[in-house]
Amino acid sequence: MAFDAQTAANLGAGIAMGFATIGPGVGIGLLTGHACEAVARQPEVSGDVRTVFIIGLALAEALALYAFVIAIILLFVV
Amino acid sequence: MLAEESGGKILEALHELNVQTIVSIPKVGPFDFSITNAVIYMWVAAAIVFLFFFIVARRLRKEPDGLQIVAEILLNFATGHLTGQIGEKGKKYYYLILTLFTYILTMNLIGLIPKPAVLKPYTPTANINVTFGMALVIFLFTQFQGFSRHGVFGYLRSFCTPKGVPKALGAPLNIIFFPVHVMGEFFKPLSLSVRLFANTLAGHLIILVMLGLLLQYANFVILPTAVFVVIMLAFEIFVAFIQAYIFSLLSVVYIESAIYAGH
Repeated sequence: MAFDAQTAANLGAGIAMGFATIGPGVGIGLLTGHACEAVARQPEVSGDVRTVFIIGLALAEALALYAFVIAIILLFVV
Repeated sequence: MLAEESGGKILEALHELNVQTIVSIPKVGPFDFSITNAVIYMWVAAAIVFLFFFIVARRLRKEPDGLQIVAEILLNFATGHLTGQIGEKGKKYYYLILTLFTYILTMNLIGLIPKPAVLKPYTPTANINVTFGMALVIFLFTQFQGFSRHGVFGYLRSFCTPKGVPKALGAPLNIIFFPVHVMGEFFKPLSLSVRLFANTLAGHLIILVMLGLLLQYANFVILPTAVFVVIMLAFEIFVAFIQAYIFSLLSVVYIESAIYAGH
């Protein structure tokens, strides 16, 4: 098995996606924890908290998806 | 080797995500105007949005019935929640944001309807060109609003250090503030488009790969795979709504930051 460009690209795609989900995973976990605590403290703001939570979720998810795009580029274009 | 043998059905299932040219129009310079299935489904989504609001507006009733309730929910959402962030000056952007939200939502949901052999719905938003086109429109619109409200020099001044910083300290800091702000402005449409594109594409990819797996190894893995596919489909519907909302919300935030530049 020669370590050529194709192999390196496949390896890079795997490593990229692997590392990319660490940050957003921690971020979304913290976000959900704080949202849960806020709703538990004061249940009448659960609507507003839900809105902010979903916005934060989408923004944190986007970072993992940037790495997904890079992985797709690595796999299918070389 | 194992991947090549076992990947056949999976790769076949992924063909659905390809852009297929239906009517080929020769290229005019660098622009290729052929009618692909992405174009067809963008037209279908636009027709659905237009017909929905047109029909509801034709038959307005005092006591809202089914369609009118949905239209009223959308209108209240766009006026209050989305465009309401800008405040008073936001009234004139209400149509753009409402159309943007409904259009992106329709395009996302079109790709999720079941696919009989004749009609193969293709999600236009799973194509970076479509999402980048929309993000480019929002970017140009935002910059145009900024320049037309504050003038060229005034808008560029809002990229520099904020007011209230003493001049001796503030003027050299421009070297850092101005390029970072300009880069941020250019990064906004890129992140907007990639977020929408990658979310839709990732959802479809997971579903299609799992279905390909199910077809390839037609043994005991069928049941758990099918359950997983149904769960992912439900999650995809949720993601369709969320991503349409996030795109419109961030467009509103960018327009707001261009209108109130520097204040």
